[in-house]
Amino acid sequence: MINWIPGTYCSELLTVSLFRPGMGEFKVHRVRFFNYIPSGIRCVAYNNQSNRLAVSRTDGTVEIYNLSANYFQEKFFPGHESRSTEALCWAEGQRLFSAGLNGEIIEYDLQALNIKYAVDAFGGPIWSMTASPSGSQLLVGCEDGSVKLFQITPEKIEFERNFDRQKSRILSLSWHPSGTHIAAGSIDYISVFDVKSGSAIHKMMVDRQYMGVSKRKCIVWGVAFLSDGTVISVDSAGKVQFWDSATGTLAKSHLIANADVQSIAVAEQEDSFVVGTAEGTVFHFQLVPVASSSTEKQWVRTKPFQHHTHDVRTVAHSPTALISGGTDTHLVIRPLMEKVEVKNYDAALRKITFPHRRLISCSKKRQLLLFQFAHHLELWRLGSTVATGKNGDTLPLSKNAEHLLHLKTKGPENIICSCISPCGSWIACSTASRFFLYRLTYQHDNLSLKRVSKMPAFLRSAVQILFSEDSAKLFVASNQGSLHVGQLLEGRFRHLHTFQPQSGTVEAMCLLAVSPDGDWLAASGTSAGVHVYSVKHLKLHCTVPAYNFPVTAMAIAPNTNNLVIAHSDQQVFEYSIPGKQYTEWSRTVQKQGFHHLWLQRDTPITHISFHPKRPMHILLHDAYMFCIIDKSLPLPNDKTLLYNPLPPKSESDVVRRRTAHAFKISKIYKPLLFMDLLDEGTLVAVERPLDDIIAQLPPPIKKKKFGT
Amino acid sequence: MVQLRPRPSRTPASAEAMVDEGQPASEEEEAEHGLLLGQPSSGAAAEPLEDEEADEESDDEAPEELTFASAQAEAREEERRVRESARRDKVLLKEKRRRREELFVEQKKRKLLPDAVLQQLAAAPQTSQNKSYVALRLKDQELRDSRQQAARAFIHESLYGPGTNRTSVNKFLSLDNKRLPVKKAAAQFLNSAWGTQKKQNAKRYKRRWMIRKMKTPKK
Repeated sequence: MINWIPGTYCSELLTVSLFRPGMGEFKVHRVRFFNYIPSGIRCVAYNNQSNRLAVSRTDGTVEIYNLSANYFQEKFFPGHESRSTEALCWAEGQRLFSAGLNGEIIEYDLQALNIKYAVDAFGGPIWSMTASPSGSQLLVGCEDGSVKLFQITPEKIEFERNFDRQKSRILSLSWHPSGTHIAAGSIDYISVFDVKSGSAIHKMMVDRQYMGVSKRKCIVWGVAFLSDGTVISVDSAGKVQFWDSATGTLAKSHLIANADVQSIAVAEQEDSFVVGTAEGTVFHFQLVPVASSSTEKQWVRTKPFQHHTHDVRTVAHSPTALISGGTDTHLVIRPLMEKVEVKNYDAALRKITFPHRRLISCSKKRQLLLFQFAHHLELWRLGSTVATGKNGDTLPLSKNAEHLLHLKTKGPENIICSCISPCGSWIACSTASRFFLYRLTYQHDNLSLKRVSKMPAFLRSAVQILFSEDSAKLFVASNQGSLHVGQLLEGRFRHLHTFQPQSGTVEAMCLLAVSPDGDWLAASGTSAGVHVYSVKHLKLHCTVPAYNFPVTAMAIAPNTNNLVIAHSDQQVFEYSIPGKQYTEWSRTVQKQGFHHLWLQRDTPITHISFHPKRPMHILLHDAYMFCIIDKSLPLPNDKTLLYNPLPPKSESDVVRRRTAHAFKISKIYKPLLFMDLLDEGTLVAVERPLDDIIAQLPPPIKKKKFGT
Repeated sequence: MVQLRPRPSRTPASAEAMVDEGQPASEEEEAEHGLLLGQPSSGAAAEPLEDEEADEESDDEAPEELTFASAQAEAREEERRVRESARRDKVLLKEKRRRREELFVEQKKRKLLPDAVLQQLAAAPQTSQNKSYVALRLKDQELRDSRQQAARAFIHESLYGPGTNRTSVNKFLSLDNKRLPVKKAAAQFLNSAWGTQKKQNAKRYKRRWMIRKMKTPKK
């Protein structure tokens, strides 16, 4: 469906910035009309063996973060409108399962990057799911009050049996570490089941309100079963309660919040657990000795953390950190000081808010930007100005930015990736089951769109789409690992060649880069390293040696055909494709090492580009900075200042030359979602202020402050 | 607390133990039987029936002598009679049920397709692999959708429904502004979403007016 909305409200500034003497003057289009709103986080599941975190969001997307690779989002599974995931868990052998309100249990294939299968549990909407301590069985709690046991077979899951059916929906489940008993939290009560017989042994009634009377039902949002038989429950009245499962009685009760406590996660050693509340606070409970000499221990609430503004719907406890996520869309990872061995920058708080992939593509010739949303694409033309100014001026726009196109995709699936060709005549996007290619024609000021029909079926479920610089070829990386090359002529697509997947496991979503002369295509994502293919001869040319951190951005420089690769640990390599080896500059940088502040940045580099007239410059950016690397200047060592503000004009040229180094970093434009060079003197920076995102989130819990 | 003398129960609880598990033939018979067989040890609560009958005849005559053996024989006779009647009833009921079952089977057979067709259907392969469609019962899908809708409504109500203490994002972010020494405006002071249709109409009218103005020749 196509909606034409010409000339609507937009917000774009045109400022003039002067980066450095010798760098020239740039006109910067500051774009703030990308209305990007991430979905709230609904569940997280931590896998101890691989140190990976699976995160599912309210739109059905499931993302996999590699916590050892600098918390980089290496894979994701696109969302679906009917899938509202309510539970996520890992089972034996790195298998990931999710269950939701559509009543299905879904297994994800982490190598093929698609959904293996979906099994209907026939119990209505599924509210909770947990894997057995051995990892071979799966338990789901359903809307109709039944608790169903599934056996995990190598290929699929098989229904084994039902447990005793309860009266109300089962909202939370927890397995005893020995695998003999199960605690199930429902509305107003908690049941303890015996796994072997499937019968409910105890039914523990939960108080609706700690003190006083309340008419609202008490929902038990989370339960945790400890090996000594204690069941910890968190409920909507703001209580954390400790029950004795052997006798079915309440042992201790803590009232910790005025709103719901919505999630609980226990550490593997069972000496600490974490709970998240609807007010955005995360509490840490620890098992401490009663007195300094006694052996008796008790649970004490030690630390509150306020890193969220909205409900914390899910928490996880890794051996060294507390992980929380909720409606305010941030993923917060808080390393615990006492558990961290080396107290360096790695022990700092990590807050992941902005995407680790590019959602924006740009057509430089026609100054167009394509924004990717979950179910639609937006095409905007940048404004223009004829005025000039000096450093720091805001230039008035003679022509406002125009919203040219609002392109909705049919179907309930989310868009995985999209791209616009450099000439601006082609738009391509892909969902899990379809591939869309559109042809745009410009006549004077009018724009017409035509969908290219009869696209080959193997193009669907693409993870990355790229057009060649002359817009004559289309490169598509599919989720199975193969690369498709197609030719675009006369408004039609013609399949030229498919590069089959090379050996090696899939480590991250594939990223593509094509050289401006159209001869070379680079593809990353496998454990073998970055493959470089020759487009002219349609065969593999060479492979960049494998590096143990995933690639976050790649680009090929014009003329020199140097491949610049950025990794998630903030290392940047430059590899010469014709020479099949790392360049001199890259070797020098590796020998000296990067500046420690460069390596401590906590957002990945998402885009690399080049200046057409200055081959010594590399432009790259992450969410909070934009950098131009000048290869002709000396490299900074750890003692020099990395963020080198422009020295005042009064300083002599000698001083300026001494303090100048290769990394010209600017932090003026942030948070940055995209930054690119449009032409020699123009840059475009797409910013997304955090306040604009927060302003469109659901309502938070009211906080009473004295005097307001 | 006053200790009450344990009184024997009047209900024929013991009758159940005597008669075997068939349903008692009639309730009156059972009640009478129970009364007759009342606890031999209950001296205080003597059967008023017997006493009354004795009173009617003559006050001077001695009551009938009832030896234990005769009473026992009578009781056994009674018991046997009751058992027999219960068994007869059971057999009758069973016969009735069997006849009804046969009738049902006959009726069902008439309703079903002939055997030959059924056998053919059962033998045919389930669904061929090449088919590009999936057969779905609409009723199932509607049920599924309505349940999912109900579940979503439950979550929304429990988190954002009445009784929850929620506030708007604007108020939440402006709380700090209110407590500053120099009070600032709310975080979202202007509502830019207000009157978008009106603004769009105004823009369109302005454009049309300008075009009209440019078209008319200047005097």
